[in-house]
Amino acid sequence: MATVFMKWLERRPADYDRGIRLLTLGRLEAMQQRIVEDLIQRGTRVLEIGCGTGALTVAMAKAGAKVSAIDISPGMLAEAAKRIEEENVKEYVDLQRLDAVMIDELFIPQSFDLIVSSLALSEMTERGRRYILKAARKLLAADGRLVVLDEVRPASMGARLLFTIVRAPLQFLTWLLTRTTTHPLVDFEGVLSHSGFDWDVLSTELAGSLRLYLAIPGDQEESEHTPEMFRGRLTGARTLRTVLIDLWTSLFRIIPPYPQVKPGVYAVGEPGRESPLLVTGNFELTVRRLVRAIEGELNIWILVVDSGGINVWCAAGGGFLTADKIIGALHISGLSEYLQHHALILPQLCANGVEGWRIREQTGWGVHWGPARADDIPDYLARGRKKTDDMRWVQFPLRDRLEMTAVTLGFYALMILIPIAIFWRTMFWPTFFAMAALSAFYAVVLPWLPGRDGLAKSLPLAMIALAGMLVYSTLWDPAAIDILFARSIGLTALSVFIAAELQGMSPLMRGEQANWGWEAVIGALLGLAYWLIPNVMGWR
Amino acid sequence: MSEGPNLGSLLAEHWYLARKLRSLEIHFAPERCKGLWQCYEVCPVGCWTPDYDARCVVFHHGERCIACGACVLQCPEKAIALR
Repeated sequence: MATVFMKWLERRPADYDRGIRLLTLGRLEAMQQRIVEDLIQRGTRVLEIGCGTGALTVAMAKAGAKVSAIDISPGMLAEAAKRIEEENVKEYVDLQRLDAVMIDELFIPQSFDLIVSSLALSEMTERGRRYILKAARKLLAADGRLVVLDEVRPASMGARLLFTIVRAPLQFLTWLLTRTTTHPLVDFEGVLSHSGFDWDVLSTELAGSLRLYLAIPGDQEESEHTPEMFRGRLTGARTLRTVLIDLWTSLFRIIPPYPQVKPGVYAVGEPGRESPLLVTGNFELTVRRLVRAIEGELNIWILVVDSGGINVWCAAGGGFLTADKIIGALHISGLSEYLQHHALILPQLCANGVEGWRIREQTGWGVHWGPARADDIPDYLARGRKKTDDMRWVQFPLRDRLEMTAVTLGFYALMILIPIAIFWRTMFWPTFFAMAALSAFYAVVLPWLPGRDGLAKSLPLAMIALAGMLVYSTLWDPAAIDILFARSIGLTALSVFIAAELQGMSPLMRGEQANWGWEAVIGALLGLAYWLIPNVMGWR
Repeated sequence: MSEGPNLGSLLAEHWYLARKLRSLEIHFAPERCKGLWQCYEVCPVGCWTPDYDARCVVFHHGERCIACGACVLQCPEKAIALR
């Protein structure tokens, strides 16, 4: 399951373009065209923040601009590079993979006539946006201008309500089809003014929700605003809110929206300038488990990096938690100046998507791989950042198996039980109890079943049950053979499904994707048997 | 507006990825290994063991490999490939 989920989350660039077109009802292109026509002349030096698949990049280059384009996503950059190659504008474009908050490190001050950002600022955190605007001011030449094309949330209550109602179904549909979504900017105009820009709205679309801003650095130095380094203190205390979130995540963890923590630097306990720094993703459950594991034992800084609200393993695998995001988050955190040590402790399970050596090379910080489980962190630190093999290797103990059982049950109960409740009411409780009993059974015995993965583990047992049921009814209860056969087919299907999914919930197995295929094949075969055998045998 | 999702090709692609994922194997070039132990540090299933005397890792327990790619990604010497 986890890998399927990860693959599905992986946004493909072609899908992204499709999604954005759907979400903006095709209005974005017209506005991008306007940028090119009004603001680009031959030789204009442009910095494009978040070039995506490069549509605007190419249009600007064709109009004669010299474009430096950055994006954080390798997939998007590959697509952009392809497009630039096809359109023959390679010599006018300089593409780089970079988190936008790093622009002040990489580019020379006052070296751009135009800084453009189309649907990129809304992808970033509030803190990141403020930092980028500040950096943009420095990078702009004397008559330089900043152009932002993005989605904004309307300011008035009524408009906001309408916006939400109209947008929700469109957004959901788009997400289902393409895994693309946007997060409209809130009070962007305030942020622009605050960052020392004079601005104007050049044009709007979609009832004012899509806006094109033209901003020039004001005379005023930016108003006194130093980004606050610490977001606050985290505690593992249970409140009504955390209990509700726990309840939701214990059943429906894999259904978005995922409960999130705002990215930033947090304190646990009373950390000081020498306290260790841990990095993690911003899935609420991840952060809270981490806090509970260390609270009361240690004083620690936590750098919560935006992982789209997804756990670190799936986020790293799906490209949501990357080395660039961590480098960027570290850069704007101000921790380099504050902390006396420069050692980052990364969660081991993000190693499938975050290149530790690249963080080491680009930031000069030491990178250490922490233990696989948060519970081992105090022990890991007490040993001087040394892991034992037990801390390194992922286990799938009973406790976790039961927890994952709840997650699979919660999700599949929705998929299986709701249709049954509607179309086949008498089978609701039998199916429910069968699912619960099978799940509990497999959760307990899984490690001792033969076979390498959940599917292989479930099959022999399911076949034995099916055969036993048939033998029993043939020998002792021939009259009930039809109904017994039907039920045992149903049970077999459920048990294969449940065992395969349960095992797939741990990062201990590969090829869960193939399981989905096999589950479908086995399901079809069972369906065929359900229909064929009673007819052939003359049971009905 | 745009072409709808093609379920057939989506399933076919899924099946292809699944088969590929199953067949992936680790290819290790020990002569490149400098003994940084990154693969050992990050492997969640214990495929790698450091040989401290030879300053080189040993790849055994290939049967445990889940093809997550962590070791490939973390090796700065590009000594590991998954194909």
